Amino acid sequence: MNSVIKPRFSSFVDRFRGLQASSPWMRRFSMLAQVWTLIALFVFFSLASDSFSRPINLRNILTQVSTLAIFASGMTFVLLLGQIDLSIAAVAALSAMISAHLYSKLGYAEPIPSLAGIGAATFLGFVSGVASARFRIPTFMSTLAMSLIAGGLTTYISKGRVITKVSQLSMTLGSKRIGGPDGLPVIVIVAIVTLAVGYVILRYTRFGRYTYMTGANRSAARLAGVNTDRILVVVMTISGFCAGLAGIISMGRLHSAQPDATDSFLIDTIGAVVLGGTSLMGGRGGMPQTVIGLLIYGTLRNGLDNIPSIDIYLKEFITGTVLLVALLINTVFAGTAERDRTI
Amino acid sequence: MSTVPIIELKDVSKNFRSIQALDHVDFDLREGEVHALVGENGAGKSTMMRILAGIYTDYEGAYYLDGKQMRFNSPHEALAHGIGMIHQELSVIPELSLAENLFLGRQPTTRFGTIDWRRMYRDAEEELRRLGFELDARLPLEQYPLGTQQVVEVLRTIVSGARVLIMDEPTSALSPSEVGQLLALVDTLRQQQRSIIYISHFLEEVLHVADRITVLRNGRSVATLTRDEATLDRLIALMLGREVDRQAQPITTESEHEETILEVKDLTSDKFRDINFRVGKGEILGIYGAIGAGHFDVARALFGLYKLDRGTIILDGEPFPSNHSARYAIRRGLAYAIESRRKSLLLDQPIYQNITMPHLERIGRFVPQQSQELAAAAPTIAQVNVIPPDPHNPVGKLSGGNQQKVAIARWLTFPPRVFIMSEPTRGMDVGAKTEVLGLLRRFGEQGFGVIVVSSEPETILAVANRVIVMARGEIVGRMENKNLDKDALMRLI
Repeated sequence: MNSVIKPRFSSFVDRFRGLQASSPWMRRFSMLAQVWTLIALFVFFSLASDSFSRPINLRNILTQVSTLAIFASGMTFVLLLGQIDLSIAAVAALSAMISAHLYSKLGYAEPIPSLAGIGAATFLGFVSGVASARFRIPTFMSTLAMSLIAGGLTTYISKGRVITKVSQLSMTLGSKRIGGPDGLPVIVIVAIVTLAVGYVILRYTRFGRYTYMTGANRSAARLAGVNTDRILVVVMTISGFCAGLAGIISMGRLHSAQPDATDSFLIDTIGAVVLGGTSLMGGRGGMPQTVIGLLIYGTLRNGLDNIPSIDIYLKEFITGTVLLVALLINTVFAGTAERDRTI
Repeated sequence: MSTVPIIELKDVSKNFRSIQALDHVDFDLREGEVHALVGENGAGKSTMMRILAGIYTDYEGAYYLDGKQMRFNSPHEALAHGIGMIHQELSVIPELSLAENLFLGRQPTTRFGTIDWRRMYRDAEEELRRLGFELDARLPLEQYPLGTQQVVEVLRTIVSGARVLIMDEPTSALSPSEVGQLLALVDTLRQQQRSIIYISHFLEEVLHVADRITVLRNGRSVATLTRDEATLDRLIALMLGREVDRQAQPITTESEHEETILEVKDLTSDKFRDINFRVGKGEILGIYGAIGAGHFDVARALFGLYKLDRGTIILDGEPFPSNHSARYAIRRGLAYAIESRRKSLLLDQPIYQNITMPHLERIGRFVPQQSQELAAAAPTIAQVNVIPPDPHNPVGKLSGGNQQKVAIARWLTFPPRVFIMSEPTRGMDVGAKTEVLGLLRRFGEQGFGVIVVSSEPETILAVANRVIVMARGEIVGRMENKNLDKDALMRLI
């Protein structure tokens, strides 16, 4: 009865995992799956396109992912907690619109408009957090509702029109370069600072540790005396703040406040953070992973633009396909699909 | 009652690796009879019941149904032959209506193949009425009390065609009035000539409801008594395997510990009522109860993780605010290790992080550094003797006993005033058990108050100075643990 059970068939994935379990070198290699994906994409586009690896294009990649990076900083907190924030795009648009409206229509001087925009976004994040923590509404629903609320307010304030007069402050943040026309864009610095602050909070503060703990095992966190409700509220507030800041920056970059300018950022943000290796289930991942995810995303988007032979109508399709493959590679390498089938 | 056996087990044995769960047991069930099975935890009740219900298919011996030898391959097959089991954990679907629950999987249909709702409701209410219940079958089951849900579960098994019902601890989670309701139902079913195997911890209940009682001990059937032969003392004696002193411990003896650390007055919630006790300096208080007695919830409430309706908790002479948080409890010096380690530990994280979890605010102020955490964790890891002691090891890699030691160690960095432990030795081997119990005794000697909450009498008797027994949310006995015996505890629940 107790004969050794031998599988008749072992898949490539199983064999790979066996290898992984046996060799520490293999384990180290696979922990960096995301980095390998990034390198592979980078090498591929460098070979496939002459313009891709030029310094000016690399700077472009950074600029292109900067707004996304600010959104992603907030989203990393949210996903680490095992929650989701579907309102970031709409909240960012509202932040931009409030600020532009105050500046151009009501004549307030900076920094009041920008602070008001970011303040409103932060407040909406706080409200979603309270709704979910206090009344146990899943964040999926509370932020979905918040997305409609913010979108509705944006429409109401803008009456559907684009505001093209925006403040100098936001333009400095969004499109100025330090050190002449070929210098470092301010937007990149803002993005790096946001990511760095997020990293320090998550890695070095008690609050950061509580976020990981709560995301990994809520009941364990509660038993250790963590006020998990408060953690949720703070995390959603942080996400709101990041969305607000991203809205202002994006407005400065486009030199206008447009009701629909940030629409595509929701999916891109979640995509980039998860691609980096932060788990949707909470408790695993962090800012370094998010940085890798952002770079993969940026490389892919920009790289496809730099291969002239690709049909531009196919770009979206190719991006999606490569993303799916990258995610598959991540899960196989990281071994996240476990043996226990009840999970 | 007829004397023809419907079910007969002859010379049935069952092994789990080295453990002989059932040892040449004979058993029979007659038509229209309520036959109770009693015994301590681990006596073989569950094993026998699972063999009867077709859950265990691999056993030695013979199983006769209506005089024919059978061997069921699945619970489904057993049910097809009229043997249905009602588990301790209800398997009803609370969101569905009462009628849907009753006819789950065999709803009456119209000729178009859609569900015939009207007929379903009518049939359901008729079935209920036949058993003496007037209920609206359209309401979702969750709107009915637990006792009614239990009734529906029983009825569903009957509707599925069961002549023989196996009921496993059917009353453990019910309130006293609901127990009465269920026992009445059992009586009705007996009058309808159904046969019932009734398993319960509550001996009074068994004596009330059973026609015959079989006592199991260490996998052997030690006696089968008729209702007239059985008394409480006789059953307990048979279960424990020795004559017991009729004069049990004097009930309601409060300890004379000179210094009270923790005092609890009138704690009341939905799961328990009017709980009063005190814990002295260096005293180990045991709270014993069967599963569902509410003792685990009392522990949770003390730590601020279960909502109280009223009551006062006084620690070191200073009362807690009402519905305090767990953080407050920790700051005041309560420590709590719950019965489930999976719920209390971060299994993927290293040992040291699991230990510093509740104390981050006291370690390194704003920014907890790994070196500070390791320094805080290392002494306690050594103190409880975690093996292997490497603080970087993930907790999930440790054995159950060592995981429990980590769950204990985390409260020793800043020694608590009162240490509350639920099921400190659940699922551990003998060696680990001894070690953990030794730790608890040492805490007593060091002058903490310790509260051990358990459904295993052995654990309580091994460490407690004083024992409180709970049943159905109330304290039913208090005694000193001097020459205390299991029977004294079991007599009370």
